[in-house]
Amino acid sequence: MRDEDVIELKAPELTAAERLYLPQIVAGFRTTLRHMFLEKKKRDENMVQYPDAKRQVRIDNYRGVHRLNKDPDGRVACVACFMCSTACPAHCIHIEAGASPWPDREKYPVKFDIDELRCIYCGMCEEACPCDAIELTPHYELVARTRQEMIFDKEKLLHVFEQTKHDKPRKNPAVTDYGLTGNQDKAVARPTSQTKV
Amino acid sequence: MPTRWGALPNSGIDKNPTPVDRIIRDPKIVAAVALVMLVLPPIGLTAAWLAFGQPLLDLMKATDPAILQFVFSLIMMGLVLFIVIHLCAALILAERKISAFIQDRQGPNRVGFFGLLQPIADGIKFMLKEDVTPARVDKPIFILAPCIAFVVAMISFPVIPWAGTVELPWGGTLTTQVASLDIGVLYILAINGLGVYGVVLAGWASNNKYAHYGGMRAAAQMLSYEIPIGLGVLVLLLVSSGTLRLEVIQDQQTATGLWNVFLHPIMFLLVLTANYAETNRAPFDLAECEQELIAGFHTEYSSMKFALFFLAEYAHMIIGSAVLVTLFLGGWEPLPGVSLLHGNNTWWAALIKFHIFWGKIIGLIGLYMLVRWTVPRFRFDQLMKLAWKGMIPIAMALVVIEGVLVAVGIKVDPTAGFVGNFGVLAVHLLVNAVLLGFILWQLSRTKAPVTGRQDNLPEIEVVPSRPAGQGGVSHA
Amino acid sequence: MPVVYLILITFGAAGLFLALPGRGQAFGRIGLLMLLGLVAASIAMLLPQLGGLGDRVAFALLAGIGLFGAIRVITHPRPVYSALFFIVLVVAMGGLLVLMNAGFVASALLIIYAGAILVTYLFVIMLAQQGTETAPYDASAREPLWGVLAGFLVLGTLTGHVLSGDAANELAAPAAGVLGTVGDVRPVGELLLTEYVVGVQLAGVLLLAAMVGAVAIAKRQAALQEEAG
Repeated sequence: MRDEDVIELKAPELTAAERLYLPQIVAGFRTTLRHMFLEKKKRDENMVQYPDAKRQVRIDNYRGVHRLNKDPDGRVACVACFMCSTACPAHCIHIEAGASPWPDREKYPVKFDIDELRCIYCGMCEEACPCDAIELTPHYELVARTRQEMIFDKEKLLHVFEQTKHDKPRKNPAVTDYGLTGNQDKAVARPTSQTKV
Repeated sequence: MPTRWGALPNSGIDKNPTPVDRIIRDPKIVAAVALVMLVLPPIGLTAAWLAFGQPLLDLMKATDPAILQFVFSLIMMGLVLFIVIHLCAALILAERKISAFIQDRQGPNRVGFFGLLQPIADGIKFMLKEDVTPARVDKPIFILAPCIAFVVAMISFPVIPWAGTVELPWGGTLTTQVASLDIGVLYILAINGLGVYGVVLAGWASNNKYAHYGGMRAAAQMLSYEIPIGLGVLVLLLVSSGTLRLEVIQDQQTATGLWNVFLHPIMFLLVLTANYAETNRAPFDLAECEQELIAGFHTEYSSMKFALFFLAEYAHMIIGSAVLVTLFLGGWEPLPGVSLLHGNNTWWAALIKFHIFWGKIIGLIGLYMLVRWTVPRFRFDQLMKLAWKGMIPIAMALVVIEGVLVAVGIKVDPTAGFVGNFGVLAVHLLVNAVLLGFILWQLSRTKAPVTGRQDNLPEIEVVPSRPAGQGGVSHA
Repeated sequence: MPVVYLILITFGAAGLFLALPGRGQAFGRIGLLMLLGLVAASIAMLLPQLGGLGDRVAFALLAGIGLFGAIRVITHPRPVYSALFFIVLVVAMGGLLVLMNAGFVASALLIIYAGAILVTYLFVIMLAQQGTETAPYDASAREPLWGVLAGFLVLGTLTGHVLSGDAANELAAPAAGVLGTVGDVRPVGELLLTEYVVGVQLAGVLLLAAMVGAVAIAKRQAALQEEAG
């Protein structure tokens, strides 16, 4: 950086009236009173009565509670590659892999726990997943009575998928196969600009 | 694929309102209840009057006036306590609603129609919440602190002249002021001074750094802002008849119709500001500022102990407003310039006075709330600077000026009426205008940057800025 | 009569010596009990000299609370509690002054002592130590014997003087009566500005000097800090 690139910004000095506070406070009253009395219509129009009605969200992009997708055969789509837990900045994903009972993949998750209290809902796991198995749903109402309840295990995450698959279908149902069986369409299996980079 | 927007179906518990929900949210039912509550007491009172009025009057006539006054004072104390506690609850709802409207929100609107039953829900919640006393706190003081805060807030009320005196038809008078103290204003100042302890002790006993900082800040702040209030009282003393009695100071205003706020507008602003600081409310809520201190001195408090602090804050607001109304705003007189109710000591006039007094208090509290949700918080050094370098010098100047005015004989004459005191008013307004001009002149002579404490910064070497049209990136 | 008072004061001195921090818990309790007994006895002896029932009850309560506060100020091992009991003492003193029709002095005492000076005490003590433990240097009193002896001598002399004839008359002279009509603020103000005006001015000069001194010390420390940093 050159010296000439430095742009000097000078803080404007307060005038005497501003330093007396009072005129500024009166100006502030004008703003707050306007919002209080004159903008009732705007306020009412923008209102969502939350538990009765919910605000509109972008279903495909909203980063709410996670789910673990199932492939068309009803098996867990995850191949226990640890990409998501590696990518997770909050270290909230805990996976234990086991040998897959199915011929089309090597591993599958025996345990898959997400601590929803540690999660910061950044969506990095979804970005990292090579087979679109983990996804974030638009559901944001997470309540529990204990911290233990907020650690979602594999069954619960799969259950979330069952609950949300009608609102938000799985983005790419075919992306599970890694060419081990050779009987699936490679064009779909390979990530494209249509699916994910 | 286009972005799909949508609201997910309801999964919350409120999907199907219970019958109770339906009932308490129905405006018709609320209106009916309100109607009953408004209509039943007058009917009941009238019926009671018809049934027991004559015996009661006979009993009152037969009673010794001193005992009658004593019983009446007890009733007034109970009444004021009742009003204050219930008003606190209502004010908490009002504050939430006002803040919500100012911030384009709706505020509480689910408990009852328009959220009107929210105070009840709040009260139940306060009582049912777990009352946590952390392990390593100083237990006696930890429990004592909220009690001190609340008690101190409540014991200032007896000296307020709510509705003047009432002349009884058969002779004799009753005063609505519970304690007519010769030291009236000083009593309130003394009690206010004790109010610091609740906050300081809470902060210390919590054994928590944030609470400790909050308590320390509150102590320094309250000490500093008591001085402008004291000086303001001094000015009133000089110009009024030289008494500290609240009822005399107020009677003088109602007799002349010349409220002190017109005589001393600058002093009124100073005392008002100091009152905001004394109640620890924004823009002076340094003791509990959330960004820096979590919740300040009441970080460790929960349940009813926290509620006591909360109530104490609102009671402080009410007592502060009541004192301001008495000292500056003409007490129970409805309009400035005329004496409509002065000297009218009938029982119905007392009722009207009582309502006007409370109306003025509520108006001032509305101003409190508006200020809280309009003005951003001061930084601590700015707060101290405002008190010691701004308000106290101005207040002292006013004391000196008023002393000179009184010494040359320009003083309110309570018997002369509004017209007779017009000259005094003109002189005071002129003096205040000159002082304001002087302050502005002083302010314009010194310079202040917008932010930061930049008094002692070294001289910065001025860097030549880039000439226009020579852009481009280079790696030096 | 004076002999009785002297015996009481000796008893109290012994109790105070035991109750000061550092004597052990059992002795401390015995000392406190002795002191409380002394308080009760002296209040009981003073009560018949007072007027109505209301006055007696108020005096007994306020004096009892005040003396208990005073005792705990010096016997409590923890400074914060000492300061708190000092506040209790000041408030009780205010009440006693109100009983004597000296409302102005009472409120001045409350505003200045309870409202300003003691807050500053608390401020300093609280900044110095936090937590629920007693610091080792607070656990025992410094020079308890000499302190108690000095207090004993002062109190004994004062009592003896007060109880001797002429001093008692002198003290009894400005009784209440005139105060009720003119109020209790105006006479104080008039006295301050006529008879005691020199004293008021001197106090003002003293405070000014103290303030200038404080500013000077603060300036010097700021300069030292700049040198160091």
